[in-house]
Amino acid sequence: MFPGTSGGRGARRERGGNMAAPVSVMAASARWGRRFGTAAAPRPWRLFGAMCLLRPPRITQPLEKEEEEMAALMAQIELEKSQYSDHEIRKLQEEEQLRRRKESAYDDEDEAPGKTVIMAQDLEDKWEQKLLQFKAAPRITDADKNNDRMSLNRKLDSNLMLLVKQKIGNQQLWLLPQVEWQPGETLRGTAERAMAMFLGDRIQAKVLGNAPHGIYKYKYPRAIRTEDTVGAKVFFFKAFLQSSDLSQAELKEDHLWVAKDELGDYLKLEYLKKVNRFLLDL
Amino acid sequence: LSSWLPQMVPFRGSHWQSSLLGLRASLLMRAQPKKKKKVDVKREQAQKDRMKKKIKKLEKAAPEMIPIEDFIAPLKYSDNSRVRSLPPLSFEETERRVLLMKKWCLFKQKQDKAEKQAIQTLVAAQQEALKELRLESEELYQAAIRRDEGLFPYEREGPSYSPPLPGYDPPEGKCVDITKVYTQ
Repeated sequence: MFPGTSGGRGARRERGGNMAAPVSVMAASARWGRRFGTAAAPRPWRLFGAMCLLRPPRITQPLEKEEEEMAALMAQIELEKSQYSDHEIRKLQEEEQLRRRKESAYDDEDEAPGKTVIMAQDLEDKWEQKLLQFKAAPRITDADKNNDRMSLNRKLDSNLMLLVKQKIGNQQLWLLPQVEWQPGETLRGTAERAMAMFLGDRIQAKVLGNAPHGIYKYKYPRAIRTEDTVGAKVFFFKAFLQSSDLSQAELKEDHLWVAKDELGDYLKLEYLKKVNRFLLDL
Repeated sequence: LSSWLPQMVPFRGSHWQSSLLGLRASLLMRAQPKKKKKVDVKREQAQKDRMKKKIKKLEKAAPEMIPIEDFIAPLKYSDNSRVRSLPPLSFEETERRVLLMKKWCLFKQKQDKAEKQAIQTLVAAQQEALKELRLESEELYQAAIRRDEGLFPYEREGPSYSPPLPGYDPPEGKCVDITKVYTQ
């Protein structure tokens, strides 16, 4: 047992020396946690509540290649299995009449003048023109082109989540907004307080339930560790952003809205691993 | 006539009487409720019973089925004048279709597996978080497990093909619903 402990301590000392960032080694902490559990205070972990605020997608995702081919095939099969509609019958009849009129060359002059008959083909042309006049909003917005990560109008077809820069220990890190738990409130209340702290009170978000969706546990480097606090546990909650208008919010300047694949640019590896577990790959 | 005092013709002045002689008869004829009551009550009772019997008979009969309008093909499509005339499919086309269906099958299977795997990791992550929370404090755990009453029913508008156009003025109009509603 002794060689094991000295080896473990030695290894951790190295790591503590190299990185000031919180170390989370699940196996080591589990071992230490068990040993500490026998001797230390009942609650050696500090609790944090973090809120993962998601902006749901506003436009549909582009279809994959197979999906597009299948959609085309389905449309074709539907056309083959269908019968003529009233509009199509009318169109066919009018084409027949036109052809007959041209062939018989001015036989029924008395019918044509005086009456302006609207043909089905004219109607179709008119509808086509009307469609071309309408311009829909572009799917790829300006924010996309500039890669402005602070705006909410960026990737409209995927979930965006809020990242803020927070001071942990003596380091500024990009994290999901978190705040320490105070006795007397539930963890969900902590997460909501974290959200309110960074975005103001008037934010409309729907928190998905009382239970946390994920957890990130880390131990403090040996220098900071005291008898009472071994490390911290961060519980993540998920919420959907309902209002797209955040003009009154944003008290801090360093916040970002990032999609899931861009999280790797900002978050630390272990933290990222835990966060990715409870985010759906959209 | 003018010299007659009005007291000499006492009943003529009142509107209850039309003839001088038939005084008794006219009063009795008009004042219906003063007739014998038993026959009326019996007749009314008999009428009510008959109505109730009819209602019971109608209720006992099975309710008429509400026709499903989608399953009834309208008569104007029953003749074959509307059949589309298309050239028959070539061999290559049928082959292409069959192969595409198979590819689609595989694609959908992979998609389904990936979704199920994602859901499993979500649930596992949540269970882990709850386990850790329980180790911390029992009361927080109980507060976390409690059902959130305000969560459902949850309504949200789904994504559309293009984002909303700012300053778009939709054309005016009213949508009138003409679906037939059947009551049993």
